[in-house]
Amino acid sequence: MKLYRRSLWVFHLNSGSCNGCDIEILNALAPRQDAERLGVKLVGSPRHADAILFTGPVTREALPSVVRAIQAVPEPKIVLAVGACACGGGIWHDSYCVLGGIQGLYRVLKSMGVAPPKTIYVPGCPPKPEAIIHGIMLARGLAGQRQARSEYFEEQGPAVKAEEDLHRLFHKCFPGRLPPKTARVEWGVTRY
Amino acid sequence: MRSSGINQVRPRNKYELMIDLRRFGEPRLRGKYLFLSRIKSGRLRDLVDYLHWRLGGYYSTSIGVDERPLDGYFHVYHVFVLEEYGVYVLVDLIADPGHPVVESITPVVPAANWAEREIMDFIGVKFRGHPEPHRLILPDDWPENVYPLRKDYPYDDKLPTSDKIAKLVRESSPATWEPEAPGDHTVIPVGPYHPALHEPEYFELFVEGEKIVDARYKGFMVHRGIEKIAESRLSYNQVSFIAERICGICGFTHSTAYCQAVEEAAGIDVPERAEYIRSILLEIERIHSHFLWMGVAFHLLGYDTGFMIMWRLRESIMDLAEELTGSRKMYGANIVGGIRDKWDIRDDKAALIKRMLDEIREEYLKYIPKIISLEEIKKRTRGVGVLSRSDARKYSVLGPHARASGIKTDVRKYRPYAAYKYVNVEIPVLDDGDIYARMIVRHEEILASIDLIHRLLDNIPKTPLHADTSYIPERRHGIGCTEAPRGEDLHFVITGRDNKLYRWRPRAPTYNNLLSVPAMLRGEYLADAPIIIASIDPCFSCTDHVVVVDLRSGRRRPLRTRGVVGGR
Repeated sequence: MKLYRRSLWVFHLNSGSCNGCDIEILNALAPRQDAERLGVKLVGSPRHADAILFTGPVTREALPSVVRAIQAVPEPKIVLAVGACACGGGIWHDSYCVLGGIQGLYRVLKSMGVAPPKTIYVPGCPPKPEAIIHGIMLARGLAGQRQARSEYFEEQGPAVKAEEDLHRLFHKCFPGRLPPKTARVEWGVTRY
Repeated sequence: MRSSGINQVRPRNKYELMIDLRRFGEPRLRGKYLFLSRIKSGRLRDLVDYLHWRLGGYYSTSIGVDERPLDGYFHVYHVFVLEEYGVYVLVDLIADPGHPVVESITPVVPAANWAEREIMDFIGVKFRGHPEPHRLILPDDWPENVYPLRKDYPYDDKLPTSDKIAKLVRESSPATWEPEAPGDHTVIPVGPYHPALHEPEYFELFVEGEKIVDARYKGFMVHRGIEKIAESRLSYNQVSFIAERICGICGFTHSTAYCQAVEEAAGIDVPERAEYIRSILLEIERIHSHFLWMGVAFHLLGYDTGFMIMWRLRESIMDLAEELTGSRKMYGANIVGGIRDKWDIRDDKAALIKRMLDEIREEYLKYIPKIISLEEIKKRTRGVGVLSRSDARKYSVLGPHARASGIKTDVRKYRPYAAYKYVNVEIPVLDDGDIYARMIVRHEEILASIDLIHRLLDNIPKTPLHADTSYIPERRHGIGCTEAPRGEDLHFVITGRDNKLYRWRPRAPTYNNLLSVPAMLRGEYLADAPIIIASIDPCFSCTDHVVVVDLRSGRRRPLRTRGVVGGR
């Protein structure tokens, strides 16, 4: 994957993040990691940028400004979704005033008739500066992708399994009758 | 007989205070909390006046709770901190669900303005006599009469974004958008995305030539519904992790304050070793936050070498945090009742941390005393953005901001928590009240914190890491206070059933400190505005509020949603 050939100028867009990812982005540009040696430059206006470093779960309040800032970036543009919140809404994904990360934002963009830009996901809460630099290198074609697509299904908990066993036993003993409704047992207290 | 309270004998301890407060309602003392319910009609403002202005306490925050499932009413709690008596006074007001109106205390205590408007937004209790009962937090396209913190509102009910947003985006292109200016001043919009701000916040500065005459600001772009999520789908121990996500800089102090609040409510005694580890992590967080602030301050002063030096030094602190907790930020160490097992500080690790701290201190002292004695730095910061001691009292500012204005305040010293009970905490206080004083206070705090970590590591006792928390009683109130890098951080909880909170309300220090910004901006040069705003070390993701202040008349107005792309 090679999305961009030359130096990448980035604009940092915070859509309601907790600052964790934002500070790590600045850390990536600070002397220890020094992303500027890779031609990355933080610019003050979206009109000067090639890519957006996008953080936060997109709150309703920030939405109009975020949409306008993304529209202000000239084509072709790349979005780097930095952090768990930007990638999928994070811990806030189903809150009442959060759109749920960059996918929620793209849904709004599509409803407005705007095609969503190419996106690189950098997960982590917050991702380390090295991970952010890896994302940038990926856009430049200097590094390869680390993760393949995989799907995850949550295994059924012991309480659910016990309930199913109980139902099977009931059917064996009383064939043709509906089992009585039992309240599902919640998972116990998480132990640390 | 209705006495005004002036001729009364001042109560000497909390028991006399309780008897004294019988004039106003029905007091009930439970440990550190003095509940005052059934306030006699028409006596609320007298009571607030007595607590806030006569007894030497201060107004902290207000919490609205929907307790209809429990007793059929909405409750509003006003929290007052009376350090002298060692109690929190909780004034408990009841609102009938059919006609939810209570009396406002904002005319007596202006600091209650935001908190009361927040309750109007979220719970739907109206405040009689509030000077500006407008919407504060929720977005402009949020429908009327939908109150998200009521218990009958589902936390994941995503209202469809109205056409208004698409319309707004279409119409407010930069070419057609003009901010309204009072009089004939020039308006300088700053934000929400601007090189000088790293968070989405929006300021409007009104200038005459180079002088700022007026300022407005608008926030709440980071409102993520954290209170509702915590009350709806998280258990006690999970909330301490979401509490850390309130802020990416000072998260651990939020999680500690939350845990302390639940421990207070449930009467859990935290083992000493856990208290020491909490304090050590809190001090590491304070050092990295102050390093970060110094770097940003130098950057805003145009001294980028200083910025680079500070951020390079800060990486060593991040290494330290990674060594102790496994992550650079979001330590994830706290649970209710103590510290998680794997976050123990072993002896070999303690020795390593001490060695690293010595290196950091040496490196720090090599550069910073030279940088802060530079003439250029002094000229840009001395006598700029001055906040006098009396103004600081008026806005009840907190933390290093207050200490730079000559107010001796520090939760660590005067209401000690965690391991600060066992060690002496030095707090630097300066009287100048300018940006230079704030810089020096933070500089001294960094050195004091490094010493403090050394002392804590020396005395760390051998006890278990967490207490038994299998039983947390229902409907108990608790308050947890910590000294965040920016000031006092207060968390209020009511415990519920099914291993869940009934209500949780965090209050961050920037909430109070932001109010003082317009006072500091008045009459200053435009070029100094970024460093003046930054000098309080604002953390908007913690605070997130809207206020509009007219500096000339002191009047506040609401501001409509409008975005402006930075760099215009």
